[in-house]
Amino acid sequence: MTNVTFDNILINFGFGTKEEKKEILKANPGKEIYMDLTCYNPAEFYAAYPNLKGSFAALFCDEEKKVEVHLNAPSDAFITKLKELGFKPFETSIVSCGFVFPRTIVQIINEAHYALEENVASKKDIDRAMKFGVNYPKGPFEWASGRELYVVTLLSELFQMTKDSRYLASKLILRGWKP
Amino acid sequence: MNLQRIVVIGAGTMGSGIAQWFAQQMCSVELVDTSEEQLKKALAGIHSSWDKLVEKEKLTSCQVNQMKKLFEIKTLDQVSKNTDLVIEAIIENLEIKKELFKKLDAYFSPHTIIASNTSSFPISEMATAVSPERKSRFIGLHFFNPATIMKLVEVIKGQETDSKLCEDLYQWFDSKEKKPALSKDSPGFIVNRVARNFYGEPLRIVETDDEVKMKEVDRILKEVGGFKMGPFELMDLIGIDVNYSVTCSVWEAYNKEARFAPHALQKQMVEEKRFGRKNKRGFYKYD
Repeated sequence: MTNVTFDNILINFGFGTKEEKKEILKANPGKEIYMDLTCYNPAEFYAAYPNLKGSFAALFCDEEKKVEVHLNAPSDAFITKLKELGFKPFETSIVSCGFVFPRTIVQIINEAHYALEENVASKKDIDRAMKFGVNYPKGPFEWASGRELYVVTLLSELFQMTKDSRYLASKLILRGWKP
Repeated sequence: MNLQRIVVIGAGTMGSGIAQWFAQQMCSVELVDTSEEQLKKALAGIHSSWDKLVEKEKLTSCQVNQMKKLFEIKTLDQVSKNTDLVIEAIIENLEIKKELFKKLDAYFSPHTIIASNTSSFPISEMATAVSPERKSRFIGLHFFNPATIMKLVEVIKGQETDSKLCEDLYQWFDSKEKKPALSKDSPGFIVNRVARNFYGEPLRIVETDDEVKMKEVDRILKEVGGFKMGPFELMDLIGIDVNYSVTCSVWEAYNKEARFAPHALQKQMVEEKRFGRKNKRGFYKYD
């Protein structure tokens, strides 16, 4: 994780466990905190930590650095800083575990891994099928590359929250998770 | 592999699109339908599309004249028996398809490849309608709409389909600007299986019939995810009833596995006859 601080604001970037994220919030009660909560449910954090003023999902960013942002109150300073750091923030009012894009994409990635596990097709052909059959900007394995830990963590969080087996991770993606 | 003579059965949207694409590869194409009216409509549509492509300078008039010469509309008993490939693109009804395959098997020469453009039925199940000699040359070729534009062709190997035939067709499509993907004969093949969550998960994010929230999910998935359309506007375009039916069919085929379960809102929409753009009532209103 990386923290960027300026004035009375702390922006926490990167992956961390839920406990590590909560530690940062506990350790900085007087600061306005904005935190990457891609793999978690922001509502849970907002309820416990009033110093958390906003959250964002940057772990699935590609080279375009488009980031989904939720703010509890408007904050020009935070948005300006994100832009200075090269991000393109897109604000949302939806508070959902895994936000909108990461939550949707991890499910697509997970299903692609189940299909691979069952030898339905090769990685290359699954990526190709989704790009050229339904115009996805990237194939599921291209999206997943290097992000297996985030996929597994978010799926686990969704499963803990809902107890719905639709969020159980495929064996293949669990195997690809190298902490 | 050299595919020169193609027969496409079914002159609906998919069938005529597939037929048009093959003619654009300079194959000799015979488009077949039981309805003469449908055939004439398809032919007029294809000719008009080619004329527009000439206007846009995507094709030359010389190329189009040749394609028009290569393209014929016929009834099944008029087509050449010595064709290389027959593609079925008729209604998604297993019994009707099997009945047709039985006829096609008896009609065409032994070397003819028989393919189905089905999106929902197992290839191996349909292959039970053909003779044992034909089974190795029975395959799934699943095109995507519009077939002249969408590059993917899922090449589906049934239990008894010859592996070499799959490889040869893969290579052939690859050489013709298509993007083939080889798939096992499993429910939904690749796309209709993996894409289910593009609809299912956003439905679980919004949970209720909340147009504002749906609009926001669509916006985020386009702006942040880079998708050309959001899931709700896409379901409205495809038809909520069609999408729900595909979801149910994949879910049933996977023994009601939770990952494929339809959302209650989909069922509710279908019950309320909110089918999407086609009847101006879907997740969004189209007044």
